[in-house]
Amino acid sequence: MSGAKVDIKVVLLGKAYTGKTSLVERYIHNRFSGDTVPYQNVITIGAAFGAKTVSIGNKNVIIGIWDTAGSERYEAMSRIYYRGAKAAIICYDLSDRSSFDRARFWIGELQKHEENCQIHLCGTKYDLIVDNPDLRKIQERETFALAQDVRGKVYETSSKTGKDVSLIFTNIASDYISSLRNKPAQENKEHLVALRNASSKRNFCSGCKI
Amino acid sequence: MATDHREAEQLVNTSDSDLQEAEFVETNEAPGRCDSAVFAKTDDLDDLTLNITNGVIQNHRGTITSLIRKRSKRSNTPRDQETDADLTNNSNPSEQDIANSIEQSELSSELSEDEDVKNGLEDLSLQDTESAPEEAPSVTLIPSASESDYVNSLEWKQQKKHIFILSESGKPIYSRHGSEDKLVTIMGVMQALVSFVQDNKDNLRSIVAGDHTFVFMNRDHLTFVGITRGRESTQQMLLQLTYMYNQVISVLTHSALTRIFKQHRNCDLRRPLSGSEKFFDNLLNLMDVEPGLLLTSVRCLPLDSSVRDIVSQTIVQHAKVKDLVFALIIAQNQLVALVRMKRYYLHPMDLHLIINLINASESFKAAESWTPICLPKFDAGGFLQAYVSYLDEECQTCLLLLSVDIEAFYTLSECCTKIKERLNRYNALTAISNSLQRHSYSVQQCSIGDLRHFLYKARSTAQYTSPELGPPYNTPDQQDRLFGLYHFLHDKVHSVSRPLKLLYHVGQYETLLGWVTQGFELYAVFGPLVTKNIAIHAVNKLLRWIKREEDRLFILSSVTF
Repeated sequence: MSGAKVDIKVVLLGKAYTGKTSLVERYIHNRFSGDTVPYQNVITIGAAFGAKTVSIGNKNVIIGIWDTAGSERYEAMSRIYYRGAKAAIICYDLSDRSSFDRARFWIGELQKHEENCQIHLCGTKYDLIVDNPDLRKIQERETFALAQDVRGKVYETSSKTGKDVSLIFTNIASDYISSLRNKPAQENKEHLVALRNASSKRNFCSGCKI
Repeated sequence: MATDHREAEQLVNTSDSDLQEAEFVETNEAPGRCDSAVFAKTDDLDDLTLNITNGVIQNHRGTITSLIRKRSKRSNTPRDQETDADLTNNSNPSEQDIANSIEQSELSSELSEDEDVKNGLEDLSLQDTESAPEEAPSVTLIPSASESDYVNSLEWKQQKKHIFILSESGKPIYSRHGSEDKLVTIMGVMQALVSFVQDNKDNLRSIVAGDHTFVFMNRDHLTFVGITRGRESTQQMLLQLTYMYNQVISVLTHSALTRIFKQHRNCDLRRPLSGSEKFFDNLLNLMDVEPGLLLTSVRCLPLDSSVRDIVSQTIVQHAKVKDLVFALIIAQNQLVALVRMKRYYLHPMDLHLIINLINASESFKAAESWTPICLPKFDAGGFLQAYVSYLDEECQTCLLLLSVDIEAFYTLSECCTKIKERLNRYNALTAISNSLQRHSYSVQQCSIGDLRHFLYKARSTAQYTSPELGPPYNTPDQQDRLFGLYHFLHDKVHSVSRPLKLLYHVGQYETLLGWVTQGFELYAVFGPLVTKNIAIHAVNKLLRWIKREEDRLFILSSVTF
């Protein structure tokens, strides 16, 4: 699923109730409703799509964000949401150990199926940690070690205060633009090869028929 | 009760004579009738008997496969094949997960079982003897913070309706009241009852104890139990349990459900169902207030037929996309428009699941969504992909596009933008929101003196209409009582052993008239002092009124892509 009008496809993955939807809400609409709305009511069904334009330098980039449901029953389908994604934001709740294990699972999935997807590890609900440091269940060095393995980046965000939320997306966008500058030559070459392949195949087939 | 029967019979007998017949069939054409069916035709009774014989699901399988096959034939690109392969491959990891989870869950349930054995037994003895202790009014028993206290409280026992879902091995899956974790023992007992009867090659259908009715339904390794002290009959409870079963299928598909249990007989189904608990809760709440589920028919938003035409034509023009099976607009649980692929019909039971999906979830209000949904009557074997988006700022009018193409999101998103723009240009969205604000119509608008409320179902289109609930049915208690009356009337008319065409029933507070013909079902509630003649005249007048308004109240023409 690669969108027609979208430059970068970004997918959010992670355990249920880690705050993926809140992160997107903060980024796209700059609002936070986690204090007023009980979280069970807004559990994501399937996946929600949102888009936002960012300007990096003098270029406008449209980011299409797939906010997937954390419930396990959607796991089997999740590949249609992350197929072709340029970047994945893997969310885990800084105060919930099991959500970090879940993050490892998603990293495994992405490495298996989407090698070219840049991984961004995102610890959410940072505001809780600030209020009470005892709540922290995942130490930063742990995440850094994991991130090094997958050549990913680490963020600790709070959708409530807005800390570092837009930083993730700006980084994704500038990564994309710098990759555009390096890529064009390579892409052309691949295209050529594909064409030649196709034509040789056709010759072979028609030869058979005759 | 005996007197009602006699009265009903009298009426049926007398209506054989020409005089009465002439009086009743003044309008020989049922309002809301149309030849090209909008929905799959239904008859709730047929549905039930079919469901009991368990064959209904198999009949509906393969629709999606055939649609997909058609699609891949049309565009036989390698990309499509890749998608299909992906889908089949992907189902495996989740099953492995389930397998892993089984051991854990088994452990936990064993542990809690020991604790709860004693409590559970006490529970049962209380329920069976049926004597609610008088000295403890439920007001004093404020539910304590602890869940396990709650399920042992009198308040829990006095809930009007309980619904439980458990697996064949007695594992709790869902409970309407209280956490199912704490009900391990009581569910074990239920499963024991079911298996005990099954041992003798028989099926436990229902138990009546005092004013409680216990209804059991076994389907696909799952046991559904409904316990009510309301006026629902066994048949009607069975229908409600069927809705619950359909909801399970809607989340998992029938194929996945059977696969899960084939691999692990004592699998904990709560994990694959996680995140969908509120759909069950919401569906049960809908059943308590929405007559459409009882009548297996749909309520349409009252709308000028010209506006409705504009809406459906806009959909046809701007959503003419391959593989799009159904497109519908729903506003506050009412259907605004439905466009379908030729040859495929939407069953009202499926539509109720869709309405429940929209009704139960706030998350669609935030952004466009793309979610799998299985419609059991359409095809229990696979998922349709649903594009869901609200069309207005107030999030009242919701557009759903159901497709078999898993990659169609962006295409459908563009369709939605176009549809939204057109509907705004033609002021159709304003017309819809105006109709929503006007709150349907009051029974006074029919200008029939003694009529208090009615339900009218057009059988050929599977749609129904009813006025707003006005006084005296303006308190929740009274609405509940009215709904009980409808349950009673519906049950008597549709009784399996002796179905009736007409029932005239004089109750303590109101007089009821139920009338079923080939074309329609009518359930009318009058004041208590009405006479039989007045009621008959009123009903005839009402039919004429509905006939006059039918363009507004029903969707009479079925629109296809």
